[in-house]
Amino acid sequence: MTSPGNDAELLARVVTGDREAFDTVMRLHEERVFSVCLRILGDRERALDATQDTFLTVFRKVRQFQGRSAIGTWIYRIAVNTCYDQIRRAKRRPIEPLPDHVEPSDPGAEQAIESAALRPDIEMALASLSPEFRNAVILADLEGLALPEVAEVLGIPVGTVKSRVFRGRRLLARQLGNQNT
Amino acid sequence: MHRHDLDLIAAFAEGSLDDATEARALVESCEECRDEYQAQLAALEYLASVPRVAMSDLERAALHRDLWTELRSPPGKKVATPWWYRWSYVAAGLFVVLGLAGVLSGLLRGGGADTASVDVAETFAGDASSQGDDSAGGQANPLYGAESDGGSEGVSTTIARAEEALPYPFADLADEARARRASGDLPTESSLPDDLAECLTRLGLDDQLLVDDLDLDQRYLVFMEEQGSGAQTVTFVAVDGCEVVYVDG
Repeated sequence: MTSPGNDAELLARVVTGDREAFDTVMRLHEERVFSVCLRILGDRERALDATQDTFLTVFRKVRQFQGRSAIGTWIYRIAVNTCYDQIRRAKRRPIEPLPDHVEPSDPGAEQAIESAALRPDIEMALASLSPEFRNAVILADLEGLALPEVAEVLGIPVGTVKSRVFRGRRLLARQLGNQNT
Repeated sequence: MHRHDLDLIAAFAEGSLDDATEARALVESCEECRDEYQAQLAALEYLASVPRVAMSDLERAALHRDLWTELRSPPGKKVATPWWYRWSYVAAGLFVVLGLAGVLSGLLRGGGADTASVDVAETFAGDASSQGDDSAGGQANPLYGAESDGGSEGVSTTIARAEEALPYPFADLADEARARRASGDLPTESSLPDDLAECLTRLGLDDQLLVDDLDLDQRYLVFMEEQGSGAQTVTFVAVDGCEVVYVDG
């Protein structure tokens, strides 16, 4: 995460339409935004769409950023909300059947999928958690955000975050059948 | 298990306690606490084994290319049609059908047809104006339509009744919004973000004074003060992605 001083300087340049500064902001945060979106949405293409939407919003709303949090926290908050929007929109749309077989068009992505895939057992266990527990665990334990940051991103008090993370872990352990190991 | 105990045990499992004496004693003295400790440890171990997610070079290139293409395109092309527009078309259709039925009935009875057709034309024109883009007049505001119509089934009635629960993320702020309204601590008029201004125009709400930006992606609480009504009547409307999702007032 960048320091507040760097944030302020970068943002001041982005506000003036400095493309290079915006690129820098993106490169600093795109990996984690993509990661958060992928873990919430569970699909690389949708995660990439959500990442793009997130940075569009960041660019268009940068003037409204008031510096009360780190810029990363603000961006992850937008990312999480963008993912929620995607999930809501997907619920409204009829599901289109997937083709039987899709040729891999991007070998790099295939490799990335393999190397970055959640272990299936953990993926299933995480998916079984309700969104409030899952998202708190994803942000705190998989993305390594501090609890106050998770609170900012999810827009809930730190105490609630703690409770959700701890209970989420307990449920996860139960799902994985290791409660008493 | 007490909330304090869970916090303590979880922190003990994380190894983030400066002084673990109390937590250790708790875990040693209570079977439930021991199980909780083991569960927290197991979960942390599992989560630590999950590899990091990485974008491929092609994905990264596509992200940057598509983003800049989108940013260079003219603004405003992705404005969503409010969902209640569909209902206004249904209402318009209903008016037409009922009107035609009235005309036919009048013709069959031999007389009064002229009067009936005038009524239909006026009704239809009135409905069309409420769903059109031109919302400069006060009565064009669809949210005040139902009140001024004396309870007729207008567009605003549909909006107000469609959502009984305030959706995320507004639910967290509803109490605050109501308290601010009750205490008169309302936002002052300020320049609106372009996308919100465009949105409010499209929704027919651009004659409103007070807008509070929640600093969330395209989500706004719009505090609306009815003009010329004498007493201050403030409604708050939740706008999400250019769609009215809730009306409280």
